[in-house]
Amino acid sequence: MIDRVIDSRGLDSFDLRFMGLIAVILSVGVLSIYSVTHSQDSAFPFYLKQLVWILLGTIAFLVMYLSDYHKIARLAYPTYAVILIMLAVVLVMGKSSRGAQRWIPIGPFAFQPSEFAKLVLVLVLANYYSRVSRAGWLHRVVLPGLIVLPGLLLILKQPDLGSGLSFLAVYAAMLLMVGVRSKTLGVILLLSVMLFPFVWEMVWASLHDYQRERVMAFVDPDYDPGGKGYHALQSRIAIGSGELSGKGLYGGTQSQLKFLPEGHTDFVFAVYAEEWGFVGVLVLLALFIALIWVSLEIAARAKDTLGALLAAGIVAMLCFCVVVNIGMTAGMFPIVGIPLPLVSYGGSATIMTMASLGLLLNVKRRRLTLFY
Amino acid sequence: MASTSFRSRRIVVACGLVVAFVLVIVRLVNLQVMQSAELTVKADRQHQKNVTLEGARGTIYDRNSKVLAMNMDVPSVFGVPASLGNPGVTARNLSPILHVKATELEKKLKQEKHFVWLARKLEPEQGRRLERLALDGVGVVMEGRRFYPKGPLLSHVLGFAGMDDRGLEGVELRYEQYLRGEKRAVVLQRDALGRAVFPKGLNEEGAAAGHSLTLTVDEVIQYIAEKELDEAVSRSNAKSGTIIVMDPKTGAVLAMAVSPRFDPNTVGALAPDRWRNRALTDTYEPGSTMKAVIAAAALEEKVMTPGSMIYGENGQFSIANTVIHDHEKSGWITFAQMIQKSSNIGAAKVGMALGEWRVFDYLKEFGFGDKTGIDLPGEAVGLLRGPRQWGKRSLASISMGQEVGVTPLQMVTAVSAIANGGVLMKPFVVSEIRNAKGQLVAQTMPQAKRRVISSDTARTLTTLLEGVVTNGTGGKAAIPGFRVAGKTGTAQKVDPRTGAYSSTLLVGSFLGYVPAEDPRLAMIVVIDEPRGEGWGGVVAAPVFRRVGEQVLNYLGVAVDEPVKLAMAGLES
Repeated sequence: MIDRVIDSRGLDSFDLRFMGLIAVILSVGVLSIYSVTHSQDSAFPFYLKQLVWILLGTIAFLVMYLSDYHKIARLAYPTYAVILIMLAVVLVMGKSSRGAQRWIPIGPFAFQPSEFAKLVLVLVLANYYSRVSRAGWLHRVVLPGLIVLPGLLLILKQPDLGSGLSFLAVYAAMLLMVGVRSKTLGVILLLSVMLFPFVWEMVWASLHDYQRERVMAFVDPDYDPGGKGYHALQSRIAIGSGELSGKGLYGGTQSQLKFLPEGHTDFVFAVYAEEWGFVGVLVLLALFIALIWVSLEIAARAKDTLGALLAAGIVAMLCFCVVVNIGMTAGMFPIVGIPLPLVSYGGSATIMTMASLGLLLNVKRRRLTLFY
Repeated sequence: MASTSFRSRRIVVACGLVVAFVLVIVRLVNLQVMQSAELTVKADRQHQKNVTLEGARGTIYDRNSKVLAMNMDVPSVFGVPASLGNPGVTARNLSPILHVKATELEKKLKQEKHFVWLARKLEPEQGRRLERLALDGVGVVMEGRRFYPKGPLLSHVLGFAGMDDRGLEGVELRYEQYLRGEKRAVVLQRDALGRAVFPKGLNEEGAAAGHSLTLTVDEVIQYIAEKELDEAVSRSNAKSGTIIVMDPKTGAVLAMAVSPRFDPNTVGALAPDRWRNRALTDTYEPGSTMKAVIAAAALEEKVMTPGSMIYGENGQFSIANTVIHDHEKSGWITFAQMIQKSSNIGAAKVGMALGEWRVFDYLKEFGFGDKTGIDLPGEAVGLLRGPRQWGKRSLASISMGQEVGVTPLQMVTAVSAIANGGVLMKPFVVSEIRNAKGQLVAQTMPQAKRRVISSDTARTLTTLLEGVVTNGTGGKAAIPGFRVAGKTGTAQKVDPRTGAYSSTLLVGSFLGYVPAEDPRLAMIVVIDEPRGEGWGGVVAAPVFRRVGEQVLNYLGVAVDEPVKLAMAGLES
């Protein structure tokens, strides 16, 4: 199948800035994962596993980059169907961890369909909007909403609040890109997506402790099992005690002494912030902003609607994950299970993110082809 | 799609992105710049722990470097309530291993603490079982526990150290400042489970171990003394007993046995009564053994010679409206016979010949009424009143060992002075102190307090005391092959109910040294309240023989005059 979709035209579009940024951010991730887990006694330590995921991710990147994204988009619906089946399978016979059922075990590893569902959703919506150009509530909002709904419900049932919110964010961002009749709606959607977490925090602050515990236990029972804010507090302490210049590599007392749980996965940003301080944090944020900038450039210069929508959806997904992950780590939002793209340990997330970026670069390559 | 609206939408998206990132950065400035000091304090507070590291307590050896007290690493178990799943289940799992009620453990595990001790200084086997269970939120650390490998051996001298490794009795208490390991205040890091993580370059060996002690006591001699004492005490159904074996030339204590004994490893359940080192804390009226000291004074002052004649008054002598009796009636006897037969009337007359002040001065000189100064805690002074407080009968009574309170240690120290040619030595039990590296820190040299009698007097008195064993009341103390010098003693105790001397509550003792011509051992055997035959010559002298025989053999002391003394032993 790959033979048929590979298209060797326009390889000069290969963007060194783009690739360089990805490589540096990935390195930050591997270094932080190594720092927080190097004292564990394991034959196959996490940082080596992550390198394997990055290798597989690179293959996924190249496949997505070298294929024709129109052909990939044509596979959107069948792939979405497969993902929905997988999400259903997860619910029936998936592997549980910390109260949530998100993984399908494959040998010693676990495959998380909800991660891949995000990219597939971008493909499905881009495919839909590029074909259905009719304006109006029904075609712009309701029908694609019906497409989004089964995946969203299956993900929330796991429960995986983080992936569910990402789903909504992608949907809202794509909707905004194609435009709806009422500009007000677009503004409301934009604001609700971008400001949702901040509003949540304000509402959150007004709740009583037991109410918060109930809300959290209902929404996402796997985090914060004691209901005492231990996780969030330790994360805040980790970031704050990193101060301006950080405690140095392996110097993070919060992570090295195991006060901070999940240091190599969702809370890797706290580990990094503790060891490298505010200076390091600014560098990492600059890297992400640069990557998003380049991605937005690609989206803006896409030669067709499909390409523009694909690029926009991927950028929206990337931005959402970065902002929400750092936000929850820094105690701005409640803790929802969203990994930091390219940095957090995790096979499904790493491969999916790199595949998305491959697809994004593919869009840049195609814009040089004037005739399709 | 109108391009203007598409552009405006892009501007809106870009603005949203900028707002989101700005908010994130503002939050990070807030945490890492504005709140950083406060959060750093919070981080430090939860991972830093100020602790005092303490080196292991020093080892105590006998004179041949056999270990008598040592530190052993044993498991202690703690709980981390925050990381426990179900305190009830954990408590029920731990209960049979720790031998603590599950409800009690559960209460501890439900405390709102980061760290609670569940049980400390357990047996190694319990630690292994706990580690096999591998319960969440339950940890095992090794702590030093004082261990006495020989059990009850020498327990009254060694004393013991408490749970916090502080010496509470005996040598452990007296030499606390040396035995205690070096203290060093350090800031440790601890992880979320409360486990200590030592900062780089520092481990538990960082604090030096305490000094080690070498005792003058020989564990073999101690063992012989304890075995024979236990046997004698149980054979005579006595309340208690004491044996002290001393090197008379140096004052070094070779053995100090007190019965009943205790095991310092399991001291918790015992009453303090059992810990008391009766050899130096308890006073008793010595009775006739004191005649040896009176005789020394009389010979030194040339009031008597061995051949001086004393009238025995046929066993009844009235003094100050009371009557002094002799066990064995006699008429005219020599001073030597007076010692051999332990005549009370004779002793009273010798005392009267010396006079109150000379009797008092010699007793004082020989160390009575003063602490010997041995390096053990709790020593008693005894009772020796000045002549101004004496009654009319006191001179006679004191001369025969009444109205005066002594400790067994004072007695054996006094007889050592006779044995070594007239010099009163300061008794001691610790001969060497070495630091953790094995370097000598302090050494006890034998310390002469004063000359109390001339060597001539000592030699003469030794001949008289040999007569006690060959021809007198101390026959059962004879050791075949050796010349034994000694004196029996049988003191009546004051009955606490009547306030008068009791005829049944006795203290039987034997005080002596061997070989007489060049003494290697000075020894006292005291049997307190034996049932039945309570005479010192019967209850204590045989113990002296059995201990002396085995110890001389162990020390490889050459036998002298084998035939003659063997005969003498058989005759009596």
